[in-house]
Amino acid sequence: MNRPSSIFSWLRVPLVLVLAAGLLLTGCQQEKTIKIGYVTEQTGVEAYIGQATVPALQDYIDEVNAAGGVGGYKLQLVAYDTRSEVTDAVSVTKRLIEQDRVTAVIGPSWSAAAIPMAEIADTNKVPIIATTASNVNVTVDEKGELNPFMFRVCFIDPYQGFALADYAYNELGKRKVAFLTDVASPYSVGIQRYFAEHFVELGGEVVAEEGYQTGDTEFRAQLAKVKDSGADVLVAPAYTYRDAGLIGQQMNALGLTITVMGADGWFVDDLLSMAGKELEGAYLTNGVSTDDPAFAPFNAAFEKKHNVKANIYTYYTLDAMYAIKYALDQAVQKVGSPDPVAVRDALENMKDVQVFTSKMTMEPDTHNPHNKPILIMTIKDSKWEIVKTFIPGQ
Amino acid sequence: MELFFQQIVSGISIGAVYSLLAVGYALVYSVYNFTNWAFDAFMAFGAFMAFYAISLFFMPFWAAALISIVLTIVLSVGSERLAYRPLRLRKAPRLFMMISAMGANLMIVNLLNLIFGGSFRRFPVDAAKPFFIGNVSIGRMDLLAGAISFAILALLWWFLYRTKPGLGVRASSIDIMTASLMGVNNDAVAFIIFAVTGALSSVAGVFYGIKYAVFPYMGLVTIKAMIASIVGGLGSLPGAVVGSLILGVLETLVAGYISSTYRDLFSFLFLVIILLFFPNGLMGKSGDEKL
Repeated sequence: MNRPSSIFSWLRVPLVLVLAAGLLLTGCQQEKTIKIGYVTEQTGVEAYIGQATVPALQDYIDEVNAAGGVGGYKLQLVAYDTRSEVTDAVSVTKRLIEQDRVTAVIGPSWSAAAIPMAEIADTNKVPIIATTASNVNVTVDEKGELNPFMFRVCFIDPYQGFALADYAYNELGKRKVAFLTDVASPYSVGIQRYFAEHFVELGGEVVAEEGYQTGDTEFRAQLAKVKDSGADVLVAPAYTYRDAGLIGQQMNALGLTITVMGADGWFVDDLLSMAGKELEGAYLTNGVSTDDPAFAPFNAAFEKKHNVKANIYTYYTLDAMYAIKYALDQAVQKVGSPDPVAVRDALENMKDVQVFTSKMTMEPDTHNPHNKPILIMTIKDSKWEIVKTFIPGQ
Repeated sequence: MELFFQQIVSGISIGAVYSLLAVGYALVYSVYNFTNWAFDAFMAFGAFMAFYAISLFFMPFWAAALISIVLTIVLSVGSERLAYRPLRLRKAPRLFMMISAMGANLMIVNLLNLIFGGSFRRFPVDAAKPFFIGNVSIGRMDLLAGAISFAILALLWWFLYRTKPGLGVRASSIDIMTASLMGVNNDAVAFIIFAVTGALSSVAGVFYGIKYAVFPYMGLVTIKAMIASIVGGLGSLPGAVVGSLILGVLETLVAGYISSTYRDLFSFLFLVIILLFFPNGLMGKSGDEKL
């Protein structure tokens, strides 16, 4: 037992020196870079989200760095894959905050992961901006208390459910609704709930409530029941467009021809090639459209450079990144360093800040963007078409 | 009543796809006593090959399906050479083969994801309009898929029971060591088994792709085929088919009449109950002849 320790004893001094030097060096590096974490899906069923967002973030960060960075700091992106699993989202968030020491985190895209991540943000006092997680309880917990370090750049589910119900009842004259909901997704369940509430309030009736589990591909059993229920509109607030596409195809196979409605989870161009024909005349709500001519140059350049089409996840993720860039500028000006708490304060007080898609104001008491407009869109000739712009509270 | 018949029709059409994969599991298990988790990947690979044969090279459907079968056979046999045979020759425990299969599966699926991207593609054939008996709709593609599935399974049965190489495979399924002492070429048997299962998973992938969509993770459905093959009796071919049809119908009935949320719960519960009363599955044999 004595011999090995004596061998190591002469190693001790150089070892300590090397470690100390290492610490010093990392210290130097940390002074010059600000790490931005990104929690996304690079593999798994939702890999298309990561594939269309990571290059966009990297491009923007390269641009900022080329222009001198933020107050002398260079930005650095640290993106981790969640494989679309909540457990992975939680563990990579911890890794980003505890090991990589990021200043802020972007993501995730879905509410089931964002809710546990909010707790990590609050405990560690590092701000997280969710991109498309639209469940109410992402930023405000069940008791109505604000998660001080959790933000989002998308609108929340009640607005989508409310707008859809309003449109279905008042403009389309629908009276009997059937739901086909992903019961494992707070997003999907939330939209169903708010749709049902408002629809019944208006005088409509819920005639069928069918569910499925995330990842299911077979919906005919449920659709056969919907057909049997006599509903005149089917609401399928799928989180992923695959579900919407398969539901459209299988409705067609069953000869079910009632109007279908969905939400922004549907809005990926691939849905049109997957089931544009079957979903002709379907309606959905959405925050922003990839068909907007204002984004055409960006879309073209992005697709050319990365060989991937930009989708709405690209836009929302960039919105979050722009907000962080703004908050970093503010923090560096105010306290002289990119302190995560100062970044949080700046995010909370954002007012009319130009982000990628629009100007954004953060509601300090909910951490939701203020009055984001909702587009009501339809699918016509296998293309998206905007039919109405809905502004909450108006 | 109409609703009931509609659910039964849907259930059988789902069971037909399960059965192709379940038979693949049964075949590999009967001879090598391990579960080939890489089916998942073969199935997705087969679907992608047929998808690109049509959308990039404008091949007719039958040619694309044929190309997909050939390429998937190459992949399946190749994976046997690289991932299983070295382990088999070193007499590694079966568990290692399964882990090797999982590794191969992860690698292939992630390569597909990396090369082709994760988006969901519509299979480029026009699924003809369904026809109706009363109000019950029956998909033409479902009928075709069912017919082809059962034709292939019949062909496989003929091969196993009426030809000499088939006899070799069956002999190996009883005892691979003794069979090889009696002059059955082990490597040839491995080739046959992996070629057949490659072809089966390619056909399953193509039909699944037509019915649903083509995407790298489409093979997740193979877990259902695995259940079906255990219910039917691991290693039994007729058992795999019967198990698949029962599972398909059970799933649609549960989703239709109880709750779709509990569908998978029922699938697994069903598996547990079957195993409690039939520890070898419905048609599984514990002893000698498995196939």
